Amino acid sequence: MGELEQAVLEVLWDLGSANGREVHDRLAGRDLAYTTVMTVLDRLARKDVVVREREGRAFRYSPRRSRAAMTAELMREALDETGADRDQALVSFVGEASEADLAALRRALADLS
Amino acid sequence: MLGALAVLLAGPVPWALSRWRELRRTPAASMLLWQSTAAAAVLAALGAGLSLATDRLWQPPVAAYDVAVAAAAGLVTAVVAARLLLSGHLTGTELRRMRRLHRERVDLVASLDQGVSVLEHDVPVAYCVPGMTGSRIVVSRSTLTRLAPPELAAVLEHERSHLRARHDLVLEAFTVLHRAFPLWVASGAARDEVEVLVEVLADRAAVRHVDRRALLSALLALAGSPAPHGALGSAGSLQARVEVLRDERPHPVQAAVVVALAAALLALPTVLVVLPWLTGLR
Repeated sequence: MGELEQAVLEVLWDLGSANGREVHDRLAGRDLAYTTVMTVLDRLARKDVVVREREGRAFRYSPRRSRAAMTAELMREALDETGADRDQALVSFVGEASEADLAALRRALADLS
Repeated sequence: MLGALAVLLAGPVPWALSRWRELRRTPAASMLLWQSTAAAAVLAALGAGLSLATDRLWQPPVAAYDVAVAAAAGLVTAVVAARLLLSGHLTGTELRRMRRLHRERVDLVASLDQGVSVLEHDVPVAYCVPGMTGSRIVVSRSTLTRLAPPELAAVLEHERSHLRARHDLVLEAFTVLHRAFPLWVASGAARDEVEVLVEVLADRAAVRHVDRRALLSALLALAGSPAPHGALGSAGSLQARVEVLRDERPHPVQAAVVVALAAALLALPTVLVVLPWLTGLR
């Protein structure tokens, strides 16, 4: 399901905005049922990744953010080590380093080689 | 006596442990010690109140004063238990929600490369999103281009070890304690030290599979620049990791002592508090 959601979102990024029929047409090669596409669009809307607007009797969908903006947002969350109460949901491999940290690293590497 | 043990385990013991830097050389044993200290502290705190209350009420004659003391002790115990439960609930649901939201968006924008989610971004980063229903290891494109294959292997092995050992749950438990008793308990020091230990353990796990040099140079390549307004709480933790990585000698004696200490700490409240209480009930 995740891969399909990504494919649908990519169509929306390409087109700017689209209704269910247009997305379905774009993904014709995948041989999907129209209802499947609608289910995926619905899920994306529920995840608040996609905005939905009424257009006649159907809905028109557009991505809330560009791919770059979404990526930047994720990066910010991953790099933010000063989050509220420091109870981080994500811990990165290495965070900010002081000059002393870097010097210790270089020394250790020099001693090993 | 029983309350004194709880106070000791809540304050001076974690404070002393966080200052005992050599503990980091035996990270697995030390992690055990920290966990048993925390468990013993909670056990002693709850047990002290309960045993005081039952002491007063089970031994006739019971005066009004005894009832008042018992009620006060019971109330304190109930407050401690309630704070722990509430903190556990809030912390748990919040962390899980944040991770789920993050993971959902990662799955939407990242491309998969051998099981690793890759974000198209030119700042290097590597982290994991733990979760019961699906964890992710995430790196940015810049990490892939900056690191040589052995360095990347070291980073991924480090992250996999976090996920395998469920380090997130250990950190979560200490966050729960810290949030339940933020001020008068040395839980902040405990949490910070456990944070360092978790990284040290993951580093150790990584160098079992790859060269230490690869891990060190990966750390150097990915280490961020210093924060503009002075260092944060994690300052010094990187140096601690480097120190442990440099130290190749095994420390079997220290590990054995630390494990024994951990067992003793856990046994102490059980023997002193829980057993007399149980026999007193008869």
